[in-house]
Amino acid sequence: MGQLTIEGLSKVYGEVGAEGSLLALSNVSFRVPDNRFCSILGHSGCGKTSLLNIAAGFETATAGSVTVDGKPILKPGWRNTMIFQDYALFPWMSIFQNIAFGLEMKGVDKKERVATTGHFIKIVGLEGFENKYPHQLSGGMRQRVAIARALAVQPDLLLMDEPFAALDAQNRKFMQDELVRIWQQEPKTVLLVTHSIDEAIRLSDYIVVMTKRPGRVKDFIEVDLSRPRDEDDSGYLALKRKLRDLIHDEADDR
Amino acid sequence: MSGGKVASPMASTKPTSGDDALASSPEKRGFSRAMVPLGAWVMRMVTALPNLALLILFVLAWQFASKVWIPSIDPHMAVLMPAPTTIAVTAAGMIVSGELFYHLLDSLRREAVAFAFSMTAVPLGIAMGWWRPVYNQVSPIMEILRPIPPLAWIPLSILWFGLGDEQNEFIIFLGIFFPILVNTIVGVKNIDPSLIRAARSLGASQFKILTRVVLQGALPQIITGIRIGLGVGWMALVAAELVGANSGLGFLINDARSMLRTDIIIVGMLTIGVVGLLIDVAIRVVGRRLLPWSLVLSR
Repeated sequence: MGQLTIEGLSKVYGEVGAEGSLLALSNVSFRVPDNRFCSILGHSGCGKTSLLNIAAGFETATAGSVTVDGKPILKPGWRNTMIFQDYALFPWMSIFQNIAFGLEMKGVDKKERVATTGHFIKIVGLEGFENKYPHQLSGGMRQRVAIARALAVQPDLLLMDEPFAALDAQNRKFMQDELVRIWQQEPKTVLLVTHSIDEAIRLSDYIVVMTKRPGRVKDFIEVDLSRPRDEDDSGYLALKRKLRDLIHDEADDR
Repeated sequence: MSGGKVASPMASTKPTSGDDALASSPEKRGFSRAMVPLGAWVMRMVTALPNLALLILFVLAWQFASKVWIPSIDPHMAVLMPAPTTIAVTAAGMIVSGELFYHLLDSLRREAVAFAFSMTAVPLGIAMGWWRPVYNQVSPIMEILRPIPPLAWIPLSILWFGLGDEQNEFIIFLGIFFPILVNTIVGVKNIDPSLIRAARSLGASQFKILTRVVLQGALPQIITGIRIGLGVGWMALVAAELVGANSGLGFLINDARSMLRTDIIIVGMLTIGVVGLLIDVAIRVVGRRLLPWSLVLSR
């Protein structure tokens, strides 16, 4: 369950109307149906991180609301959990303990915790690494742990902040495919922030293109391409061209 | 290091001296070309020396000075610098009689009691590192107290506690407390904020964040603080026992002074040194065992 509705969302940093205050988001509204994958595409400074932080409950909106199944998001928690760019794994916990952490916080009893953690370790392909520590893993594997840790709490909404930014190009593409595979196995409503057009097309059902400061919804695009997405497909290329034009308009008017 | 790059040591036939060796050390290579093979030869010889060679040489020189050289100048002075063999015999006697362990255990007990009390620095440090208002209120007090050496508290503490264990423990406590406090605060402040965000995003309560993330994340730094603290405390302990105790290693060496037993003094000093080192090593080993993930501690 997890229909995401963002309604008239605005965010001002600093005192509203005061000098030096910054309008980061202006009247952003869109809707993502249950278990669909939505990317927010835009240049840095378009407020996409603010949007994600509000959806994660780390920041409060100046106006408007973010709701999941009609319930407003007011604070961070497992219902709207986030996957971070730098993975944010607990270095003192083994891979198993990292993935089980959220379940423990949720109050899941030990037996179920072990079973669920084992299930997600299998899904992200980390069998045999349960007792390793994060510093012993490569970047891609750490990202798998982060994905498993977030999925294990069974969130209504999964938020991702440029999750593959720290990976090299080869690994990034591979992990994008992996994310799609994992998501197809464990469907969730996903909101992902990226500045990569290819990443957005490869992953998403919907793409929200944002304008530069203040961030507004410039276009809301439904991606009607079959999965797995083929880079050489004419539909893919047409969409890529369209997105590039939308994005380039924004880069020019600095 | 540079040995492989220079000419064969056989080419050098010049006699060597310490000054030459310094002048042609690898850092000064190129300064004088003629000295390069010589310097390399010296470096190779030094590298080839067995470990502890210098220490053995030092002990032998000490033995010679105590037994032959100083007595030949003034036999009365010989007592000021007992020979290593004399010290070894004294040490063996003190170990067998249990005297050394009696004093050592008293010192260790005081250090342990003071350490137990100084662990209060951990919750205080976490509170100060986590809540800005707590830090703002408490840190001025701490900043005034911290630079006062534990030894400066000895006169006041004798008036407060009298001579004995409590007074000693108080001085040691002051030595251990502040390093743990300062390191705990630093450890808390240095925790990656995204770890705290991740914990909140996974549904952790404020209390769980403090116990499972903040405390755990600060632990390597806290252990570093404990290491430094126990070292400072150990030094303070000896000083406290010098003036305010009738047992312990500090008392032992001060008591021996009044009887001109320099051999006992040196046995006591060596025990203090060796035990201090062992405490340090033990904490490092325990820290690495308990926190295998910590890059700080495995360094």
